[in-house]
Amino acid sequence: MTLLPFAHALAARQDLPIPAWLFAWGASIVLIVSFVALSVAWRKPRFEATHWRPLGAGLSRVLLSAPVQVLCGLFGVALLGVAAYSGLRGTEAPDRNFALTFLFVTCWLGFPVVSALLGDVFRPFNPWRAVGRATGTGFRAIAGQRPVHMAYPQWLGRWPAAIGLLAVVWLEVVYGTSGGVAVGLDPESAAVAALVYSGYTLAMMALFGTEEWCERGEIFSVYFGMFARLGILGVQDGRLARREPLSASARWATLPGSAAVVIASIATTSFDGASEGPLKGAIESSFDWFVDRGLGLTAALRLSDTTFMLLCFAGVALVYMLGVCGMRTVRGAPPLAKLRAGFAHSLIPIALAYLVAHYFSLFVFQEQAQFTYLLSDPLGTGSTDLFGTAASGVDYTILSANTIWYVQVAALVVGHVLGLMLAHDRALAYWPDYRDASRSQYWMLAVMVAFTCFGLYLLSFSNQ
Amino acid sequence: MRNVIRVAPVVVVTWAAFALAACGSDSNEETEAVRGQLEALPSAPASDKAVAGEATLQRVEGRTTVSLRATGLEPGTEYVAHLHTGGCDQADPGGPHFQFDAEGGDEPPSEIHLEFRSGADGSGKATTSTNREVPAGEAGSVVIHEAGGEQAKIACAELEGGHAHDSAGEESASRGGEVPTIVVRNGEPVGGVAELEYSAGDDVRFEVNSDVADEVHVHGYDLLQEVPAGGTVSFDFPAEIEGIFEVELEGRKTQIAGLTVNP
Repeated sequence: MTLLPFAHALAARQDLPIPAWLFAWGASIVLIVSFVALSVAWRKPRFEATHWRPLGAGLSRVLLSAPVQVLCGLFGVALLGVAAYSGLRGTEAPDRNFALTFLFVTCWLGFPVVSALLGDVFRPFNPWRAVGRATGTGFRAIAGQRPVHMAYPQWLGRWPAAIGLLAVVWLEVVYGTSGGVAVGLDPESAAVAALVYSGYTLAMMALFGTEEWCERGEIFSVYFGMFARLGILGVQDGRLARREPLSASARWATLPGSAAVVIASIATTSFDGASEGPLKGAIESSFDWFVDRGLGLTAALRLSDTTFMLLCFAGVALVYMLGVCGMRTVRGAPPLAKLRAGFAHSLIPIALAYLVAHYFSLFVFQEQAQFTYLLSDPLGTGSTDLFGTAASGVDYTILSANTIWYVQVAALVVGHVLGLMLAHDRALAYWPDYRDASRSQYWMLAVMVAFTCFGLYLLSFSNQ
Repeated sequence: MRNVIRVAPVVVVTWAAFALAACGSDSNEETEAVRGQLEALPSAPASDKAVAGEATLQRVEGRTTVSLRATGLEPGTEYVAHLHTGGCDQADPGGPHFQFDAEGGDEPPSEIHLEFRSGADGSGKATTSTNREVPAGEAGSVVIHEAGGEQAKIACAELEGGHAHDSAGEESASRGGEVPTIVVRNGEPVGGVAELEYSAGDDVRFEVNSDVADEVHVHGYDLLQEVPAGGTVSFDFPAEIEGIFEVELEGRKTQIAGLTVNP
């Protein structure tokens, strides 16, 4: 039995493990930075209130105007259509079909990074939101009244998105098996999944309202929106405005289930990395165990993968909860539920760091394919050459192994520092006394060090 | 004491995360395959000078399997091959026959013999298996000669004769002198997925000998060569892309080797 992390199905190369000396340096820097941060940190919360600086009125009016919004929405719908059509009608080869690279690399990996820098860039292009809004507008024009929606159960919060996030990665990493061998997701299944998800999303939007569902249940809006809270652009009072980096994340985890979203993100990336490394033996044993109990090969592989993916989720949640429970013991601590939700946003930079560390090289290489042969020949059948780039290939020499290693370690260290900053700031808001706030942060420091060192560990030994 | 309390959570949480990750390390038992290229000997008759092919010896759980593939033989002829203890470059190529028991006589099961008849295209193959393990370093070479007539030695494939304990793949790849061969039987790599490791700038050289017709694809470098059933293809290219790459039988989607290029 062989297991393939997601990258295998698409990319023809895998990253080399980080050498031991770089691992040692990375871990040392993380520890040193953490303790320096504690001693030099600021004493008044900085991110609790977002300071907006509006951009030029003309630019704002153009970008937020109805025609531009409609155009962006149409663009999103059209691209989803191309992806679905390519998946259904195109080649079975995952790397030659537009669908997989577009959905799982360009969008799934691209939006988190761009959002974290700029803000919520997915929102205007979200094809389901566009269809939902258009349908709502049409309904109003015909019926002469606003559509009536069911009240969204508030306790459900972002749980549908958290579970959906696990489902997306499950589809990407676990589903594609053949006779007990992981072969990766095939383009046709990806297209069918996209269509099924479209139907589900539009139904939910009809039930609860487009914006309501985008805020809570629509996987991609919630997931990309989470990273967008780190970015510097947003819409304030109907105007495009600048804000301080990171600041908007402080008010992200206000809905139930938000912590589960960010934990699911860290856990799924960990699972993808660990399934080929430290968890490989355990997954194989459980696969054999299921086969011995008379399960079919496909079912046994999916079941053992699923089990370990959920265990990863439980493990990440456990580490976070240990930190939260630890903070609860500090004098003057707020209730557990408030702490649990209150520090969830400090994990967003860690989640982003995990994504960058694990998929940076895949993204750089696959985007070459995306913008050359996949764009010219989306079906991968050799029948079209729309932009004259169908014959191009991916240049794997543009990134050396050293470059990739440094980017990976730098991403984890930067994510670690940003996470510490957010947690420290939140502690200052929760504990009136600065010393208590600092004391509570030993616990979050432990959580962050655990995640960052585990991230380094996955990159360095996982393939050895 | 205060310091201990402060440090304790760091230690505990880090340990928990590592323990979670560490459970279940790889414990796959490696099966050792030794391979050697078949080369014509000076003593071979003119009609057999073009002989080529490969011999493989594999020890699995107390058993030994020896396989032989050859091309360029005289069509429709009986051949015999024996496992010898010495190397091919000895004055008497291969030296004495390998024997499990000194008193066991010169026939199987004390010795390892392969008998086969070449096909109309001059190719032949044979496999034999015993329920004993040939001691490490004693499988020197496999030598072929004609079954009848003068029984002149035709060709020899060096296994452990020149260098004891050499397993094919990684070691010989890094030594640079010999070209590792990946042997594919029934569409699967003999001895498991081969490991090829190079440094950037090296010359990557290996051969694939397959009993099934397929395409051999080196991913990343995107090199593709067709291999006919029973044929061998050679790869020789500069290691200019760093990373880990699959070498795959493209049609069967079977990985036969992992190519690692370190910076």
